[in-house]
Amino acid sequence: MLLLKDIVPAAQNNIDTKFILLEKGRVTTEGQNKTCLALVADETAAVHFQLWGDECDAFETGDIINLTSGIFSYQRNSLVLRAGKRGKVEKVGEFTMAYVETPNMSEIRWIPDPNNSKKYIQDSVISLHSRIFPPMP
Amino acid sequence: MASRLIQVGPNEAENEIELSLRQTFEFLGPNLRPPFSLAIPKPDEYLQLNRAILYGVLCEPHFAKTHIKHLHAIVTDGYAFFVTLLVKIIHELYPKLVHSAKIQLIWVTKQMTDVLAIGFDALLVSLLRQIVGGDFSDANLWLCFELAGLFLDKWNCILEGEPLVLSSALYAYLRLLADHCRLSSNVMLEELKRSEIDLCVKIMKEEFHLCLKIGRDLIRLLQDLVHIPEFRAIWKDLVINPSQFNYPGFSDISQLYCLRTSSKYILLRITPEMESQLRFLLTHVKLGHQKRHQMWFSRKFLCGPDRETLIVDIVRFICCAHHPPNEIIQSDVLPRWAVIGWLLKSCRINYIEANVKLSLFYDWLFFDERVDSVMNIEPAMLLMVHSIHRYTDMTHTLLEFLLLLLDHYDMNRKDIILKGVSSSFRVLVEKGVIHSLDVLTSCTVLAPVLKEGLRKLLLSVK
Repeated sequence: MLLLKDIVPAAQNNIDTKFILLEKGRVTTEGQNKTCLALVADETAAVHFQLWGDECDAFETGDIINLTSGIFSYQRNSLVLRAGKRGKVEKVGEFTMAYVETPNMSEIRWIPDPNNSKKYIQDSVISLHSRIFPPMP
Repeated sequence: MASRLIQVGPNEAENEIELSLRQTFEFLGPNLRPPFSLAIPKPDEYLQLNRAILYGVLCEPHFAKTHIKHLHAIVTDGYAFFVTLLVKIIHELYPKLVHSAKIQLIWVTKQMTDVLAIGFDALLVSLLRQIVGGDFSDANLWLCFELAGLFLDKWNCILEGEPLVLSSALYAYLRLLADHCRLSSNVMLEELKRSEIDLCVKIMKEEFHLCLKIGRDLIRLLQDLVHIPEFRAIWKDLVINPSQFNYPGFSDISQLYCLRTSSKYILLRITPEMESQLRFLLTHVKLGHQKRHQMWFSRKFLCGPDRETLIVDIVRFICCAHHPPNEIIQSDVLPRWAVIGWLLKSCRINYIEANVKLSLFYDWLFFDERVDSVMNIEPAMLLMVHSIHRYTDMTHTLLEFLLLLLDHYDMNRKDIILKGVSSSFRVLVEKGVIHSLDVLTSCTVLAPVLKEGLRKLLLSVK
């Protein structure tokens, strides 16, 4: 199981991880499907997570969620983690997980690895915290 | 076909305890119907049979009697393993159990009480802990009602096997009655109150020696019930006529004051789920980063018109039952006083706020360093000290309340309270919780009248 600080954007469903749901944005409809952007985190990092379809209503903040075969990739220029068609999200608990809000893996600029053009490496930090879900005062 | 044991949401992971029980049940399938094998099961087979029978009892109500007969036939350990499993299920799964399984759980608990199964007292305690304070939902009142009935119906068995569990029942029901009597009633609640009162009065009148085991918190709970005629009579006897209880050696209510209440009683009014969240908050969440966890906690446990009363029990839990080790105290983890400050500020109803403050200071009133722990009184002190500059009102209201208790809590035993409170201050300084009381007595923002009260109090014992 990966820690969120170690996830790297890629065009494949290769991420197994566990996190706690911190915030949910507004549910929007894309074509036939509902989506909802959320802030999730573990003890090492935070990231934007996209809930899709029934997932939007199935989870609430404070839920601890297991993601299997998730994908971390660009969607309309923003970097989000999601289950995708081949991945799965499941509630495994609630409340009892510590988290940090920085770094946020979606707020990092990634560039292709000069040694391996198929891989991404971190270039620079765009923002320490989520610009969509600012930290609570 | 057996029904499910628990409700699982569409995106919820399978529960491992349920899964393993169900698989065992399905695996042993035919062996769970008569005619039963006469062979003596090997030790591991015995445990598997216990698991399968338990699942059968809870999920196949129409075969429950058959399953329990089977259990009676094979049992070799005084039902210890079976009861341990039941306790584990209650502890981890009770809120998720389907209603039919809850009904079966009460039924099988009665069976275990009848046979005086090893550990049936722990089983009763684990069910008492599932009654949620301030929750007037049908399901919760049903559990109150069933358990009160069980304690009355099985009185003789319990008295013979594990009489001490009656003191736990008394603690739980005295506390619940305070909530149940405050609400405008309906028929169901009336009937419930009747049975809760009958149970408490029976324990207090017939088994007073067990009540003494509770210690000082018994008084705190009884005070909230003096408006009920039955308890007013008991209260009068306690204060004026202690010999009424026919218990040699009990001659004054102050004997109860001196007995520190064990945390096992305090835990009776905190569900295991609440306990694990509170302990997590006080062990893993850092000061300054607690807002979301606090919000989630209130959303789950404190939202709803009558839930606020739970704060009294939570504060008592934090003071008496959660004593963090030094590594935590010296770290940046959210301290107990900060959680209590937050809880106090979430009180909207005056009498609840007063009760919360009483539960915060309760051990101060009778503090005796030979029996009491400084950890019980530490949160109130630190909350007063840390609030001085940013939340002066908090320090004011707490100190004012403490001085008020000194004069009015028990007018006939002022000397005891004075001794308790002054010992508290002295021990808090001696043990280094605060360096000196100057932080209060010389504080410029504190109201002169409170400083004067405090100075008088400290002088009066020197």
